[in-house]
Amino acid sequence: MSENEFQLGRQLFYDPILSKDQTISCASCHLQANSFTHTDHELSHGIGGIIGKRNSLALMNLAWNSSFMWDGGVNHIELQALAPISSENEMGSSLNEVVAKLNASKKYKALYFNSYKDSLVTGQKTLLALTQFTVMLNSYNSKYDKYIIDKGGDLFTQQEKNGLKIFRENCASCHTEPLFTNNEFRNNGLVVDPFLNDYGRMQITNKSEDSLKFKVPTLRNIQFTPPYMHDGRFESLKEVISHYKLGIVHSKTLAKELNSNLNLSHKEEVDLLVFLRTLTDYEFLFNDRFSYPF
Amino acid sequence: MKYNFIPILISVFLGFTFVSFSSSNLEIIITPRFNNKSILETDWYVTSTKDSIQFTKTKFYLTNFKLISNNGEIKVLENSSYLIDIFKPETLKFSLKLPHFDNNDKLYFELGVNNKMNTTGAHSGALDPSNGMYWSWQSGYINFKIEGISPSCMTRKNKFQFHIGGYQNPHNTLRNFTINLNKQNLELNLNLEKFFEFTKLSKENQVLIPGSNADQLATVFYNAFTVF
Repeated sequence: MSENEFQLGRQLFYDPILSKDQTISCASCHLQANSFTHTDHELSHGIGGIIGKRNSLALMNLAWNSSFMWDGGVNHIELQALAPISSENEMGSSLNEVVAKLNASKKYKALYFNSYKDSLVTGQKTLLALTQFTVMLNSYNSKYDKYIIDKGGDLFTQQEKNGLKIFRENCASCHTEPLFTNNEFRNNGLVVDPFLNDYGRMQITNKSEDSLKFKVPTLRNIQFTPPYMHDGRFESLKEVISHYKLGIVHSKTLAKELNSNLNLSHKEEVDLLVFLRTLTDYEFLFNDRFSYPF
Repeated sequence: MKYNFIPILISVFLGFTFVSFSSSNLEIIITPRFNNKSILETDWYVTSTKDSIQFTKTKFYLTNFKLISNNGEIKVLENSSYLIDIFKPETLKFSLKLPHFDNNDKLYFELGVNNKMNTTGAHSGALDPSNGMYWSWQSGYINFKIEGISPSCMTRKNKFQFHIGGYQNPHNTLRNFTINLNKQNLELNLNLEKFFEFTKLSKENQVLIPGSNADQLATVFYNAFTVF
């Protein structure tokens, strides 16, 4: 773990060399301004304009994740990057191919030497360097964080305080503070998209009780991460709240917390939306250490 | 073949029946066969279920070697992971540096990659994920790959593909061996005919995910080995 390794990881993160045809980098679908997701795209794009099956997840506070991907298929942050590198819908390459390309690059040979005292590029080193960058993408300076550190002082308006109260009563059992996720998988009552037929967690575990369950995503920086849900079906937070108020589809695996609809007045809904904006962390979104390095 | 005869000669000279091998190399030799035929990429073989097959790839992991002494002491051989490729002769023979061992000692090793190495991030050497023995959409090593072609397979290019892995119960595909050490080498014969003994390739020609099928095939593959 070193500054050099972090900088190597940053270069790799922003370099389309990771994709088969040098067109897609990690940052293609994980943009800093959107808390490292891809705004205005329901589903991620890959090489040759291929459209993937899921909405890219925002990247932050990853060290506290107990699994990765919407279906939790990846068990360790160091192996996360293998998925987009190898997926035909994303970078369409393989770690083996990437290692060969990096070994042929004078620039990367030098960067690997600086990080590992050995210029030989290997799969392990490549994954470790990417991890070193992504694990540092930590967001903890939102207005909400400052309010909490201040032990509930006057940093929040009355409306924001009210929104936090509504949030804690209605949302926090899954979107648990301070990470705003409980790292678990839930079926939140979405109609199955007939084109995607995505059953989420069940595709990993082969257990029917996991049907339609997806990772509970963090809500940090939620203002800048639309569209929402695993398939990006909702463009605004207002649509998300209306789903919980009126759109829940009941099925065997529905989260028990959602058995009764979210019951909020118009004013309460506005207060909740105002609170959710306090989770925006501008210091994170504009931190130069995480930006495009070239 | 490199034998270290000196300790044996000394033992014989002293008339001990209890043979003791001082710190030395234990040679592991893997011999892949189809019944009694050697396996060539250009040759065709007929399974006992009457499928004609040609092999394009057979790779597997041997890992986590441990020396179990007569007195119960266990010596783990660090970083002892080997990726065997039947078409790469240089992988079919390797030597383990063992501390002093006696002929009543045992060698333990695993066919595949264990739970610990599957859940502790990115590893190097034989276990480097760039070796292609790793799933990407779901974490986990592929313990073994057997691929080839057969006219019985109504698949693209008549391919059959078995990528067997899965480290979680109830379908943990790891298998292990414990072998008595009584000489300076260990021979592993792999008879690939046995892998196809229960498989009709027209019906089952692709297993690429963990689960009960993978679990069964892991046992079938394990039983295709004879160690002596």
